[in-house]
Amino acid sequence: MERLIEDLTNGNVTEVKVVLATVIVALAVYQLVLAAVSYGKLRPRFLESGPATWAHRASGDAILVLAVLVAVACVGFYGFEEGGAHAVFGCLVLAALALKVLAVRIGGSSSPFLPWIGIALFALFAATWLTSAGDFLGVG
Amino acid sequence: MRPPSQGVQIAGSLLVALAIAAVAIAVVTAHFGPTASAELEAREERVEQRLEAREERAEQREERREEAAKR
Repeated sequence: MERLIEDLTNGNVTEVKVVLATVIVALAVYQLVLAAVSYGKLRPRFLESGPATWAHRASGDAILVLAVLVAVACVGFYGFEEGGAHAVFGCLVLAALALKVLAVRIGGSSSPFLPWIGIALFALFAATWLTSAGDFLGVG
Repeated sequence: MRPPSQGVQIAGSLLVALAIAAVAIAVVTAHFGPTASAELEAREERVEQRLEAREERAEQREERREEAAKR
């Protein structure tokens, strides 16, 4: 597994992980804006609630794929041993993602839990990024 | 002013997402600079080539000296 990840990233495992994690966090901030438009909290003239919801879902799907890729690279290459707070936040991110997908499937898009799970998910993404990629970039 | 059609709004929102991803990639990649392993490998290769060329020149000089000594 380690060899495969190293081959796929051309030996730049940490760098690729940092880039992907940063893309995820940047898109997560955009997701907050789209969700605010979707729930009518923000009302820009150029974007209505329906298209914002559609874009929020599409962007969320992309984030889900990227998050799973980063998690696989992280656990497959570095393992859990030296993860510390980062490993805990990472596991919580995946749990929150699963919970959000479940909430959409069971309660539909009008589920009252969705905004809270979304905010928690954003906070967990930020915490996971700060304890690894942010630290690596000198931000965390 | 009427808002653009829904298709245009969706396409615009997705384009913004792509632009955000592209900017994030560009900023982080620029931050890494020449620490990427591909760049380091290229640098090592250049150093090796320079050393090889120096050794070759030394060998040629040695051969020329030996030939001169034989004469």
